[in-house]
Amino acid sequence: MGKILKQIKYTPAKIHRGYSNKSLYINVGDLRVEEKEVTEFMKEKFVGGKGFDLWYLWHAVTPETRWDSPENEIVMSVGPLGGITQYSGTGKTLVCAISPLTGIPIDSNTGGYFGPLLKFSGWDALELQGKAEKDLIIFIDGNEGLISIEEGEEYPEDSHLLAEELTAHFAGSEEDKVHVSVVSSGSAAKHILMGMLNFSFYDPRRKTVRFKQAARGGLGTIMRDKHIKALVVKYKGIKPNLNDPADLAAINRIGVKYHKEVHDLDEKQNTMRKIGTANTILVMNKYDLLPTRNFQTGGDPEAVKISPEVFINQYLTQGIHDGCWYGCTMSCAKAADHFKLLTGPYAGLCVTVDGPEYECAAGLGANLGIFDPQAILEQNFYCDTYGIDLISYATTVAFIMECYEREQIGPEHTGGLDLRFGNAQASLELMHQMSRGEGFGLLAGLGVRRLKSIFVERFGADPKLLEDIGMENKGLEYSEYLHKESLAQQGGFALTNKGPQHDEAWLIFMDMVNNQIPSFEDKAYALYYYPMFRTWFGLCGLCKLPWNDIVPADNYKTDTPAKVPEHVQNYVDIFNAVTGKHIDKDELIRQSERVYNFQRVFNIRMGSGLRQHDRPPYRSLGPATAEEYLSRQERYDKQLRELQGLDPSRMTLDEKLAATRAYREKQFELLTDAVYERRGWTKNGVPTPEHLKEIGMDLPMLLEVVEKHL
Amino acid sequence: MKILTHKQEICTGCRACELACSQAYFRTDNRLKSSIRINNNFNTFHAIMCTQCGECINMCTANAIYRDKNGVVRIDKKKCVGCLGCVGFCSELSMFYSDDEPVPFKCIACGICVKACPEGALEILVSKS
Amino acid sequence: MITVNTRENPWREGLTVQALLDEMGFIFRHIIVRVNGEFVPEEAYAQRQIADGDDVQVMHLIAGG
Repeated sequence: MGKILKQIKYTPAKIHRGYSNKSLYINVGDLRVEEKEVTEFMKEKFVGGKGFDLWYLWHAVTPETRWDSPENEIVMSVGPLGGITQYSGTGKTLVCAISPLTGIPIDSNTGGYFGPLLKFSGWDALELQGKAEKDLIIFIDGNEGLISIEEGEEYPEDSHLLAEELTAHFAGSEEDKVHVSVVSSGSAAKHILMGMLNFSFYDPRRKTVRFKQAARGGLGTIMRDKHIKALVVKYKGIKPNLNDPADLAAINRIGVKYHKEVHDLDEKQNTMRKIGTANTILVMNKYDLLPTRNFQTGGDPEAVKISPEVFINQYLTQGIHDGCWYGCTMSCAKAADHFKLLTGPYAGLCVTVDGPEYECAAGLGANLGIFDPQAILEQNFYCDTYGIDLISYATTVAFIMECYEREQIGPEHTGGLDLRFGNAQASLELMHQMSRGEGFGLLAGLGVRRLKSIFVERFGADPKLLEDIGMENKGLEYSEYLHKESLAQQGGFALTNKGPQHDEAWLIFMDMVNNQIPSFEDKAYALYYYPMFRTWFGLCGLCKLPWNDIVPADNYKTDTPAKVPEHVQNYVDIFNAVTGKHIDKDELIRQSERVYNFQRVFNIRMGSGLRQHDRPPYRSLGPATAEEYLSRQERYDKQLRELQGLDPSRMTLDEKLAATRAYREKQFELLTDAVYERRGWTKNGVPTPEHLKEIGMDLPMLLEVVEKHL
Repeated sequence: MKILTHKQEICTGCRACELACSQAYFRTDNRLKSSIRINNNFNTFHAIMCTQCGECINMCTANAIYRDKNGVVRIDKKKCVGCLGCVGFCSELSMFYSDDEPVPFKCIACGICVKACPEGALEILVSKS
Repeated sequence: MITVNTRENPWREGLTVQALLDEMGFIFRHIIVRVNGEFVPEEAYAQRQIADGDDVQVMHLIAGG
């Protein structure tokens, strides 16, 4: 245990209607610890969670702040519904900061026990500002009312060791381990820009610490730059009424109804309890949506080797609860137990690997051309313990591998690593290099945007090709869905606040398969409604999955099955039952819209957030190379005939590529126009003062920013 | 293993068992706080109570449900977080909750209702498995 | 000719909902099928015949993320 640098006693605030009404500020540079009031204004305009994070972050930074400026903050908050136990997916912590990858606010949501335990320790939000010189551990004991800042130099860096050690240390006994949660990163995070944060929870059945990740946008990189090695919270006494809800009976009733739905229907629907989100691997493959070899195609016959059944039958422990917060009967946080590592510093060790989630299997598998479950799980483990965001990693390495195969870079640049698609050993070695801070791993850890310039400027690669195939937008790597054939999803990725992550909108089936939203207006509505609806989970401390990865048996009878109206009503009712307020489903969207537009203006304030920043790489929109065109030639030729009235039989391949490109780029511009209009933004993507007024966000601080861009 | 059993053909639906149960565990005459519930289905009386099948043990989100040395499935009240997952997941619909109790409740085959039944319709079966 | 999700699709004698789903590659389990607006339960996919000119909707509920 490290030397105690500062200790403060506090009286934990009583929670009332979902809020403690206090937030905690810690400056790790000068060890200042302050308590702030959570105001009615904050609750009214920002609700909580990501809303509170962005509010505090705005005040912490200036337009000149960079990710490694001392004033950059990591802010986290669980939201007013966070920590209830009766409904599934109610333990999500939202984390925000100015991202090293994008230079604008990132928001990342994660399970694990930290956020709820933090709130029950008396804090609606936690701000971490400043920079320490040496590694620190911050410990919050919510039962004792104690904040302790301790030296953390001697603890290990990698999360599976660090969190295990800290959990044991601060719990003091096996039975108290469930009351401790640790936030940590890993040894790679200080060497890369895509470092992530692990949020732990103790699994008393497996007797091991497990993790969920606030993975996107380099939050772990910032935490290690601040020399925070770990945050630890301890709170004992979880009960169903800790939020002091206005109507406990309503929460109980809705919760039991929902649990029963999961019990009765999950087996027939998405089998989340067996395999979690990875249930869709073969579905995505079949529908040409599984990103393969850097998003070139949407699947591969070899995908059967990484099918859900392979993971269920050979790796994932079945039949026990796997939730990342209490009460989540969806139970999708699967784990492979007794998994023997074959490479790296922990070779030979048997570990529990959290996952694979869909993004992991798709990204570290298909997108790298690696159709080997063992290699996927091993990469999954090392990404987690080293503190690497596996989505950014996968999309970056997929890009590197394509550059390598297209001879844009060679072994002379990669330090001899043969980074061809399918080479799992090379990928693992790259990860180990990131951990050690050496070799080509240091470059790879910079992410796609920076690598494009480096490959062009230093290695002489073709800039046009790299712009087309480097799958980033705003500096963030795309998450793992091939979406070229869904115009709506092209917007769902690019017309986002933080960058291309599917948590704002997943419209591929509605658009491409169901053909439900054919017109620009339809798509624009979907790109208004769904991002707003899904933003709300992040305001309240909720997980998206229980909304629509299970639906009521009679959902098909409703007018809008895609919205799952009964579940939307559950959320409205639970919000009201916890907070005592009286919102309806329209006010729910409005609550999100306020924060969504606030974040957009925040981006603009930081020098991004305009139309030019929303433009995707061409591979997101269509076939960027001859190989992609030829692999789906029948489809693309048909589109030339039907959509453009052209005769492909009279065209060269180059002409066909060019005509397809011109058409698709135009479609994207038209979509952008329609979406901006629906969202109340100018053609340049700036929220108008009128719209801000309409949603109750005509705050002088926002108007001052947008007025410069009108 | 101990299991409470009910003989439908003898039961008159007097519900003495329900009151005995709620009185014993919650000091109240309230059938909604009983761990045995008698349902009247066209004058045949069907009892809902735990079969001690144990399906709830592995699904419990707080690892609070266990089988004791008598084979009876029990809830550790200290560990239970009141998520009510077990209530929704019980195939027999015999895990119960009340809005004024922090944790759910179920039949633990204690036999209090057996003694209370005037018709002898209830019995605790003890088997070795 | 029939329409499937508003797009034209060839029809043949004896075409069932299940056969159509197989041909379209619609393996996703979380779907809602309607023929001329009428809901078809999953148990009936193998028997339910599709007639020439029918309007078939196979709504895939949102997956992903």
